[in-house]
Amino acid sequence: MIPNVAPASADSAEPTTAAVPPRAPRQSSAKKFAGNKLFASPASVAGVAWLAALVAASLTAPLWLPYKTEDQDFTAVLSGPTAAHWLGTDELGRDLLSRIFASAAGTLGTSMITVIVAVGLGTLLAMLAAAAGDRVETVISRVTEVTMSLPGTVIILAVIGAVGTNIPLIMAILGVLISAGMYRVILGQAKSLQSQLYVDAAKVDGVSTMGISLRHVLPGLTNTIVVQSALIFAVGMLIQAGLAFIGFGPPIPEPSWGGMIQGASQNVYNAPWLMVPTGAVLALTVLSANAIGNALGKAPNSTASHLPSAAARRRRTMSVKTAVAAIAATAPTPAGSTAAKNTLSVRNLSVGVDSTGAGNGVRLVTDVSFDVEPGTVLGLVGESGCGKTMTALSLLGLLPSGVSVTGGQILWNGRNLAAATDKDMESVRGREVALISQEPMRALDPMFTVGYQLTAAIRRLRGMGRAEAKAEAVGLLEKVGIVDAARILKTYPHQISGGMAQRVAIALALSGRPRLLVADEPTTALDVTVQAEILSLLRGLVKDTGMSVVMVTHDLGVVADLCDQVAVMYAGEVVENGRTDSILENPRHPYTLALLAADPHANHAADMPERLATINGQVPQPKDWPSTCRFAARCQFAGSACVVPIPLLPSGTGDGLVRCVKADELAVEGLDWVATEVASHHVLNLVETPAVATRTVEKDHA
Amino acid sequence: MELFITKRLLMALATVLVVAVLAFMLVHAMPGSPGAVSLGAGATQEAIDEVNQRLGWNDPLVVQFFSWLGAAVQGDFGISLIDGRSVSADLASRLPVTASLAAGATLLSAVLGIGLGVTAAVRGGMVDRIIGGVCGMAVALPAFWIGIIFVYLLAVQSSVFPATGYVPFEVSPQDWALSLALPVITLAVGGAAFIARQTRASMLEALQQEHIRTLRATATPTWKILYVHALRYASLPIVAGIALQFIQLFGGSVIAEQLFAMPGLGQAVQNSVSTHDAPSVQGVVVIATVVVVAVNLVLELATKFLDPKLRAS
Repeated sequence: MIPNVAPASADSAEPTTAAVPPRAPRQSSAKKFAGNKLFASPASVAGVAWLAALVAASLTAPLWLPYKTEDQDFTAVLSGPTAAHWLGTDELGRDLLSRIFASAAGTLGTSMITVIVAVGLGTLLAMLAAAAGDRVETVISRVTEVTMSLPGTVIILAVIGAVGTNIPLIMAILGVLISAGMYRVILGQAKSLQSQLYVDAAKVDGVSTMGISLRHVLPGLTNTIVVQSALIFAVGMLIQAGLAFIGFGPPIPEPSWGGMIQGASQNVYNAPWLMVPTGAVLALTVLSANAIGNALGKAPNSTASHLPSAAARRRRTMSVKTAVAAIAATAPTPAGSTAAKNTLSVRNLSVGVDSTGAGNGVRLVTDVSFDVEPGTVLGLVGESGCGKTMTALSLLGLLPSGVSVTGGQILWNGRNLAAATDKDMESVRGREVALISQEPMRALDPMFTVGYQLTAAIRRLRGMGRAEAKAEAVGLLEKVGIVDAARILKTYPHQISGGMAQRVAIALALSGRPRLLVADEPTTALDVTVQAEILSLLRGLVKDTGMSVVMVTHDLGVVADLCDQVAVMYAGEVVENGRTDSILENPRHPYTLALLAADPHANHAADMPERLATINGQVPQPKDWPSTCRFAARCQFAGSACVVPIPLLPSGTGDGLVRCVKADELAVEGLDWVATEVASHHVLNLVETPAVATRTVEKDHA
Repeated sequence: MELFITKRLLMALATVLVVAVLAFMLVHAMPGSPGAVSLGAGATQEAIDEVNQRLGWNDPLVVQFFSWLGAAVQGDFGISLIDGRSVSADLASRLPVTASLAAGATLLSAVLGIGLGVTAAVRGGMVDRIIGGVCGMAVALPAFWIGIIFVYLLAVQSSVFPATGYVPFEVSPQDWALSLALPVITLAVGGAAFIARQTRASMLEALQQEHIRTLRATATPTWKILYVHALRYASLPIVAGIALQFIQLFGGSVIAEQLFAMPGLGQAVQNSVSTHDAPSVQGVVVIATVVVVAVNLVLELATKFLDPKLRAS
């Protein structure tokens, strides 16, 4: 009955890793108490209202209750609800309504004792452990571990044996037992707050340990404390009722909820109604506290699942059917003469947030078109939030749940992948189109060996037997430059380095012999030296296998190194595309100019400018994208001509296209993106500033 | 790994010792001396003193503790002050009752909870909301209330199950199962809801992991992603949740035993606490702790084994 750990908020995505150390603790350090969350959910509003009403009704009980708690009405024993007794009467003819409400304040009040002790002690210990260093933490943690592995109910009963049914004292001791769980919940967060930079700064400023804990750590814990308080409050009430039920409640005839249910259980055969009012009030009160805790504890915006929900899959199948019909009517057959084998043609692709969700139909990618010829590499370049990754993922039908293709076509070998069902895509993924993602460590399943993951994919995609697949796995690992393949097959992902993991991920992508490889920033998370190795591996693979690659990157060096064609993306649309050499040598769009000017590697050592350029501001949020030129707000050359919708037009160099009304003007006048004045205190960081400017392009979460 | 097991064993031993001291102190804080409790009201002071002297009540506390501990280590928890029976024998007959209750309820909670939690996480939408609502209700309603309703509906109204009582396994396996059914279901309602929430949260977290996308990109069938990869990833917190649940259910059996008149440890605690039967209280507290700590140890080793990172280190 007695939980040895404070229950975690059940609706948040964070599981109670009670006996297990939390893996990769999520940084929720800056989570402050947000009262508005309380009123965002109808359930918690109802919960607050019910608790407030209950307390008010109970405290004013003597003023309005129709009967005293011990009044016996022998004319109406065990009665159901009547005009005289709204909730009926018990076996002695006592009015249930009066007894329930008269005992409410006591029940809630004593449960608060548990909350105060559990939360107070737990928080205090956690803050102490976080502030005082490893040795203190070890001691406290050991003690709480012991406390948590005790049979709490039995201990509480033994305490009752010693001190009698002194409810406030028992609830306080219950609080001590629960505080161990509370400590576990709070500790991680307190430690992460303690290691914040501003806490270090405060220490340097000579603020005392105590001062830091109170001023910088405690405020950050507020939300968790409030959430846990609500949940422990509910637990306290349930346990108190349970104790009263088995006869360790307030002395008879004083009413208690548990005792009343015990009384009702004696009469359940002839008066089952008796169970209802007390049970309902107790359940409602517990539900209220839980609802408040869950509403406050809800993770604000959890990352989307990588697997569409069943509901979403059904919806998609439905909408795909209508979409296929519509596309068939408007577009020429994709298998026509224009589409050569293994050529990817993306036509007017749009990707948006589903209108049913919170994002409400916001478009993340608009009207993107490009082609990838067999054996060539296309680079998708741009800052974070420009829709590169979304574009890339749509090629495999792997958009996160809640995001989908809203228009356009992805033509591949006679099929429109944009309109394919998830089932259809299963025959394309891995076998024809494969994926390499940004963080190799996270791309591999930590629970299975490299060998299992690789052979499972080979067996599935190539229909091989176990032994054959294993030999093929060794071959693939050797192909991606792993020398001791047999050993690597036996390792788990956490046992190998990032570069090694990326090689494994590439081998995994190659396991189905794909004709198109989608690489989403495959080198961003790696060390510089390893980056070069991986790039050269990819270059070799393209040459050997003749597959084509769509390479998402923010690194113009990678583009120059690897790509035949480039599409520069800004704010969800292609602003310039064309052959790599012509774009790098002769950029036409101001955004391309700016990216090149801001890249320290793209400038030759000889004409390295004294100060690298930056692009002011940042990519606007998708919901703020204008219908006119989206770059105008940050463009050095923007003028009155830019406030109209801009089409993608031939740029005049080769087959390139550019989306800028001033492109010709800029080309004629030979204008360059110039480095703007930097405020004086930034000059000290001159060496770092440009790096920051380019590195902000990292991690395209779009 | 050996080091880890040794450490955990020492921790477990320490836990039991701490509880033994705690139980000893609590028992000594109980009102009334053993003599008074044993002889009841109306006994003469001389008779009470005589009993107290015989039981060593007047010895220094440390001496009393170690003589009790020495006997306890050999499985002798003394004799009950109330009926003069051996505490150990009494507990030995009660342990199977509570153990079958707690194990049955944990098992049922785990099966139901994992099933519901996975379903809620995977199906999403309406199904998720319904399961969430049901679990919210199940957690909010006290077990004893649910138990009474079950008794009323299943035993009284339709007499599918016996309402109360316990039939030992040796007497009749079938009646044993039937007599356990209602208490197990009663305890499992809350337990299943707890595990379902834990499972749902862990599964959702698992499905957010990037390697799920890799699995999809290599055409892994959905069932395999869900039930092999995601569930495997989610298994650590789920097993931890089940371990916690066992501790709670083992303690929670006090209520189920009272409600269904089962002669288990919970009933023993309740009786001995009410009657101030010190040796019984001490014995039952220690035995309950030993069982809980042992099961916890096994499940902790299981979680260790489930996590490749921990297994390797």
